[in-house]
Amino acid sequence: MTMIEAKGVCLRFPNGTKALKDIDLFVKPGDMVYVTGPSGSGKTSLLKLFMGIEYPTSGSLKVLGQTMIQGQTAGIRRLRTIIGPVFQEFKLIDGRTVTENVMLGMRFLNLTQDQLMENAHHALQKVGLEHKAHSLVENLSWGESQRVAIARAVARKPVLILADEPTGNLDKANALNILELLTSFINDQTAVIITTHATHLIDAEKPCKVIRMDQGSLTWERLG
Amino acid sequence: MKTVFFKAGNAGYFLNEVKTMIRLNVFSTTLTILSTGLIFYILAMILSGWWVSSYVIKVVQGEAEINVYLNEGIVNSTPEVQLMMERINGIEGVRAVRLVNQEEAYQRMAEVLGKEAKVLEKFEENPFSAFVELKINLEAIDSVLDQLNQLVGVEHIRDNRDVLDRLRHIAGVLRLIGILVVVAVGISTLVIISHIIRLGIANNKEQINTLRLLGAPERFIALPFLLEGLVLTLGGGILAVALAAFSLNYLYAQLAGPLPFIPLPPREGLVAGMGIVVLSLSAVLGIVGSLLGLPSVKND
Repeated sequence: MTMIEAKGVCLRFPNGTKALKDIDLFVKPGDMVYVTGPSGSGKTSLLKLFMGIEYPTSGSLKVLGQTMIQGQTAGIRRLRTIIGPVFQEFKLIDGRTVTENVMLGMRFLNLTQDQLMENAHHALQKVGLEHKAHSLVENLSWGESQRVAIARAVARKPVLILADEPTGNLDKANALNILELLTSFINDQTAVIITTHATHLIDAEKPCKVIRMDQGSLTWERLG
Repeated sequence: MKTVFFKAGNAGYFLNEVKTMIRLNVFSTTLTILSTGLIFYILAMILSGWWVSSYVIKVVQGEAEINVYLNEGIVNSTPEVQLMMERINGIEGVRAVRLVNQEEAYQRMAEVLGKEAKVLEKFEENPFSAFVELKINLEAIDSVLDQLNQLVGVEHIRDNRDVLDRLRHIAGVLRLIGILVVVAVGISTLVIISHIIRLGIANNKEQINTLRLLGAPERFIALPFLLEGLVLTLGGGILAVALAAFSLNYLYAQLAGPLPFIPLPPREGLVAGMGIVVLSLSAVLGIVGSLLGLPSVKND
């Protein structure tokens, strides 16, 4: 099964700006995809299409079998429950603890309370934040917040992780840790797509796909 | 993965969310509870006044009676009085007939006058006439009066219809005020609560967007706001009931001394009934107010 199938996808904003031009992209289970390019090249717009925040103005896009067109509210909502999004600005909920934030993404899924707790605990363990489980998220550092956002995304065991600039504003050591962490969730059932402008952080030794975006267009840089 | 709207484990989450929203907006929450509490207090007092007046009217209606004064010629003749009483008793709507003789009429007036009764001593003779006292069904008062007027030997009829009409009028006014207050309270509460919910939604815009991006159903997102509205109006309702119970206790204590003859309904029953109505109404208004405010979640 193809996880993402984009054919000739274009995205034009209401003000006429063409954010994405003629994008062709196929992502299969087990793929680790880096979307690189300078700021404003369309990386975030591409992820927004995959999350159903924006819709293609032309071309066709299917994510996990769901056709991404406006009006498919129920289908896109269902799709979002099986995606693990890691937002550039984290989108953690202030006034709640780390555990509450991680559990928030699972509360409306068909999981028991024990499963919720267990998933949250494992996810926090995986990102090395179990000792901060009861801290309020507004008291965390930038890097810790980033890891909570990752924990929230992976705790519900998604089949597709979409991470938007997860290494932004991190020093090299922390950025490498985050990338390694995200790479560790890859298996033959899942795929991870990461946008980053820090190409020097990509581990050339590991199998991955690197695509480069420039002014809304996509070029393959490396297939591995 | 199948999604579910509500499960037992989430009850704690929803309540916790409500607690957090209230904690983060404690000032506006307090003001909302106080303002809705005062609105519901006015409602509670109007409702209580309505119930008390209805009760008084019911009691007075139960005591509805007519006094029939007979011609001099008849009233001095025992057989004719007996015959007249039998005729009166035969009128439909008459429950009981009793002769009040001159002495009893004098005593009754003395009791009514109390300390001023000594004025009666200035009369050389008993100035009061004997009369026939009728207990009637109030609904039949018009037909009873018609038939009494047709009887030969009846000199004068006195009824308390005027008093009852005035009481009914007062009760009608109170009922109208009650309905207006209920409508005003309803609209005010709906406006306040829906506005608070909208503010809450605006304050939690980021959280709502995040939940949507994570695939949360709209009902899951909206439920904490609905519960918040319910908590706010119930808080106001509880405050109003407490204030109204205190006020009613005070009023009953004040009325018991100088106006003991006013037939008030039992205080405990009145407070309990008022409490149930106000709390139920506050819950309903809270839910409806929230539902009116919730569309802004969708429009966000």
